[in-house]
Amino acid sequence: MSLDLADGGLAPYLILIVFGFLPSEIWRWLSVGVARRLDEESPVFLFARTVAAVLLVGVVARLILTPAGDLASVPLAARLGALCIAGAAYLAFRKSVMAAVLAGEAAIMSAAYFFSG
Amino acid sequence: MSPANGGGRLTNPETSDVETAHGAPWRFALEGVRQALTGPAYFVAVALVGVGGLAKAAGFPPGVAFLSTLLIWAGPAQVLFFGAIAAKTALPAVALSVSLSSIRFVPMVLSVLPMLKRRDTRLSTLMIASHFIAVTVWAESLRRLPDIPRAVRLPFFFGFSITCVLVTGFFTLAGYYLAAVLPKPLAVGVLFLTPVYFLSTLVRGARSSIDWFALVFGLALAPLTQKFVGGGFDLLALGVVGGAGAYFAARAWDRRRDRAR
Repeated sequence: MSLDLADGGLAPYLILIVFGFLPSEIWRWLSVGVARRLDEESPVFLFARTVAAVLLVGVVARLILTPAGDLASVPLAARLGALCIAGAAYLAFRKSVMAAVLAGEAAIMSAAYFFSG
Repeated sequence: MSPANGGGRLTNPETSDVETAHGAPWRFALEGVRQALTGPAYFVAVALVGVGGLAKAAGFPPGVAFLSTLLIWAGPAQVLFFGAIAAKTALPAVALSVSLSSIRFVPMVLSVLPMLKRRDTRLSTLMIASHFIAVTVWAESLRRLPDIPRAVRLPFFFGFSITCVLVTGFFTLAGYYLAAVLPKPLAVGVLFLTPVYFLSTLVRGARSSIDWFALVFGLALAPLTQKFVGGGFDLLALGVVGGAGAYFAARAWDRRRDRAR
């Protein structure tokens, strides 16, 4: 079997399902079997929750420390500064995620505008 | 008053088919839709706008960009998929890298499903629910589900997550047509959205010492593992080492605090 994007028709959709959807989805399905036997108080549940949280924080930290694409054109200090502004807005507006996002976005876009000359 | 608060009258959380027969599941499904539309659905949607542009650059039709969000429902895996194909990577290698990036769903599914299930929940229902678990739905579920009575958590979850997926699907499609014409400050804003949104969601959702230690360990170890662990294993190492560190640090912390009381 050979699949190629250039074949057009259904080929791009088959490629998505076989090489994108299934390899990713398998982990969710495998986990269901284990999760069925866990309850909310179990240490395995808590441990899994911790690993997932640390992973997420790690991914997020990397997006800021070594970003891809246009974000890399904004200096690290400005990226961290925008994050601090987001944190300040979060606290100022009584732990509002929305306020944090809007303030951080305003800060980073101003920085991008400034540094792109 | 939102149904989430009205749920307190369900005295036994494992009830109650009598209670739920009165239309409560639909009310909670709609409450899920409503809560998704107050923010989370748009945050994840904007974060995936760029995926649409990537799909176009890789030579896919717009329908695949849209379906990639509905089927894969994982930003990093979608970026890898389209990015690697655009770079003419062999398809089996694409599948392998996509699969590696999605291993992170294991702890997420393990930590959400036990909050959702009841004793009589069918396997097929759990399999379908697991499909919607990705970073956004995971983080928001940990934060929102404890306020929802267990009997109606599944309808709430499906209302919330299906809304997130559909809104994001349409934004991915929009990105397919728009990404190339976004001015630079906006493109930077799109890329910055993911980190600022997830960090504030995690801080907002942190309830126990474990949650706080996870934040601290993740932030402290991320630059270190990136520098010293190579070959694509740095995230795996970060999750296992940082996760174990945070877990045991939190337990020690709790024990000391309990003894001090």
